Amino acid sequence: MNKLILILLLIVSVHYGMAQKKVDQCIACHKANGDKPAILFSKDLHFAQGISCADCHGGDASKEDMDESMNKNAGFIGVPSGDKISEVCSNCHSDQLDKMNNSAHGKLTVKGDQKILQCTTCHGIHNIVSVKNVASPVHANNVVQTCSRCHSDIAYMRQYNPALPTDQHEKYLTSIHGQLNKKKDANAATCANCHGSHDIRNALDVRSLVHPANLPKTCATCHSDTELMKPYQIPTDQYEKFAASVHGIALLKKGDAAAPSCNDCHGNHGAAPPGLESISKVCGTCHVINADLFAKSPHKKAFDDQKLPECETCHSNHAIIVGTDQLIGTTPEAVCSRCHTETKNQKGYWEAAQMRKILDSLIYEEEETIRLITEAEQKGMEVSEAKFKLRDIRQAKLETRTIIHAFNLVKFTEAANKGFAITSEVKSAGIKAIDEYYFRRWGLLAATLVITILAISLFIYIKRIERRNTAK
Amino acid sequence: MEKKYWKRLYNWFDERIQFEDIIQFAAKKYVPVHSHSIWYYFGGVTLFLFIIQVITGILLLLYYKGSEDLAFESIQYIMTEVEFGWLIRSVHSWSANLMVLAAFIHMFSVYFTKAYRKPREITWITGMLMLFLAMGFGFSGYLLPWNELAFFATKVGTDIAGVVPVIGKPLLEFLRGGEDVTGATLSRFFAFHVAIMPAIFTVLLGIHLILVQRQGMSEPLGYEIKPENEKKTMPFFPNFLLRDLLLWLIVLNIVALLAVLFPWELGVKADPFAPAPAGIKPEWYFMFMFQTLKYIPATVLFIDGEVLGVLLFGAAGLLWTLVPFWDRKTLRGEKNRFINYLGIFAIMYIILLTILGYLE
Repeated sequence: MNKLILILLLIVSVHYGMAQKKVDQCIACHKANGDKPAILFSKDLHFAQGISCADCHGGDASKEDMDESMNKNAGFIGVPSGDKISEVCSNCHSDQLDKMNNSAHGKLTVKGDQKILQCTTCHGIHNIVSVKNVASPVHANNVVQTCSRCHSDIAYMRQYNPALPTDQHEKYLTSIHGQLNKKKDANAATCANCHGSHDIRNALDVRSLVHPANLPKTCATCHSDTELMKPYQIPTDQYEKFAASVHGIALLKKGDAAAPSCNDCHGNHGAAPPGLESISKVCGTCHVINADLFAKSPHKKAFDDQKLPECETCHSNHAIIVGTDQLIGTTPEAVCSRCHTETKNQKGYWEAAQMRKILDSLIYEEEETIRLITEAEQKGMEVSEAKFKLRDIRQAKLETRTIIHAFNLVKFTEAANKGFAITSEVKSAGIKAIDEYYFRRWGLLAATLVITILAISLFIYIKRIERRNTAK
Repeated sequence: MEKKYWKRLYNWFDERIQFEDIIQFAAKKYVPVHSHSIWYYFGGVTLFLFIIQVITGILLLLYYKGSEDLAFESIQYIMTEVEFGWLIRSVHSWSANLMVLAAFIHMFSVYFTKAYRKPREITWITGMLMLFLAMGFGFSGYLLPWNELAFFATKVGTDIAGVVPVIGKPLLEFLRGGEDVTGATLSRFFAFHVAIMPAIFTVLLGIHLILVQRQGMSEPLGYEIKPENEKKTMPFFPNFLLRDLLLWLIVLNIVALLAVLFPWELGVKADPFAPAPAGIKPEWYFMFMFQTLKYIPATVLFIDGEVLGVLLFGAAGLLWTLVPFWDRKTLRGEKNRFINYLGIFAIMYIILLTILGYLE
């Protein structure tokens, strides 16, 4: 019996629901009047889901009479404007509005009255379709144009952030991502893939997906995805290599915001791998002296002739490790020996061996000097000036390491000799301090001995006087 | 022949200075010998260390530059470039500390033997004033190398002086030469250290020594009442003076050992904009006061804890200095155990609080 009642109730409610849908008077009248919004809305995703005009505009969709259906007392609000638009959407999509309110867009307003954009700015109004639908303005094929409506408008952008470039779209079109996007490749990264959608933040905000510290992970969401990258036949280990590299450690572990992220070498909106010729220029934006020395070195022509990527040949690309002294020389781990052997390109082979020898000597001398100064300091000697000069040795060593990029033994030796000269000066100060320490010890011994003998003599003399006095 | 010339030279001076009077005076001067005679030597030791201070201080003055920009560097120069400069500076610092220690021992020995009683009240007061001055020498001299620790210790020290009611603020500004510890403070402390305080000290020392010579060594109460024939004595010249000399040689040896084996460190140059480093401590002889101020609650019966502490130490110092005037019992020749207990308490308190200060 109970089951029968339940089935009856279900039938009645379904019938009632259908009856309600059938009598959506808003669409019925406005469509009949040829109103564009009503015509568009009949194809809208929301309409298909049974959402009526009244759900956004208020009023009673079931009433035929206009005074009743569009009665303000029945909640009719008419055409919402300003922030009311997004508020209407947030009746169902509250999460997205929250995110938007906290985003860079949500913080900016037009004359303080309303936010610079509403949901409808990007998603459209009565013709909203799924993001997966190619007709959607936020579909991968269209989102770039949608964003650039504002971001490429110089006059508009000037009002809110004059420093922000407006050439992102143009650059994007030249990038690999942009070219693939042009070919309607839905996998190609668009604005939203890197910047996010509702919660877009300023790139300097640490919570932004494109903040330097977060960017490698953002890029890796696609570039570390082996399945996604398969059609493009590119490696997917860049992130692992970068994270373990000297740059990655500085950026991701030490939090050094000056360390390069993916975009510093590849560009951001115009992202593409740097060409053969431009590698040294890209690296040279930070490593200015090294790049300059290399450009004037004999290796420049040799590398160009053999089409070798300049810096990358010796230092690798994503996996750049800390430049150690082992890189130079003729030992198996030295990069020079890849091209220079005893029988092939011998001049470079012997010069590399010589450079390594000089560099090793300089390092040995530096260590020896530090040992001497530390010893003098531990002995309580005042060697702060010599200790300060240890910095000059470090600087000379750094210069010597840098000058390697000139691949010129004469220049290299000159730089190293500067280091040897300072080392010798500081070393002498250390030796002098240690000698002084022993001189003081011996001096003390002699002085103490003299004073003690004097004291003992005096003691004996006093005793003698006192004995004489007692005898008297 | 040679002897004749010496005699003539002696006579020439004697006619003008009358050595004979001094020799006669010294020949008749006797020092009491008893179980507490050892304490007589500490005045001499303090004097000897003061002489070392004067000599090494003058030598340091030849190279030291009392300005914010050059003070640290000049000490660095003294320690590295000037021949035996390291030794002079180290001896100056070590003997300064030993002098304060010897002065404290001397003061307590005089206190416990009640040698401050009539007629030696002025000797005691000048001695106490010299002890305070010695501490002032230490405080002002500590800043002169213009290193980090000294800079912040001076800041803390002068801050404490600033809490004295009524005169605190003017006193703080007088000491610092302004609101803050700056180069002006350094110049001022330099002037205190090498001119103002030595001038006052010399006058006090002169009075103190003249009185010691005029009144002779004080006899302890128990010794004083003995019959004259039972009193053991020792001639001041040459016996006592030679013993004094012997002790001076031993002290000199100690100073030399400390100066060479534990050279006084220079530290890092003061940077007024740097945050205060951890572990700022005053010199050891201020430690007990510094530590006490830490233990006093922020407010005690509506009185600021620090103010109370400073006032208490001020009052204690004043009472201590005026002991010859309120210790009536000793003056009457009676034993005053309270004085002894108070002295023992003071020593225990100073030692305990100093240890606690260094353990922290």
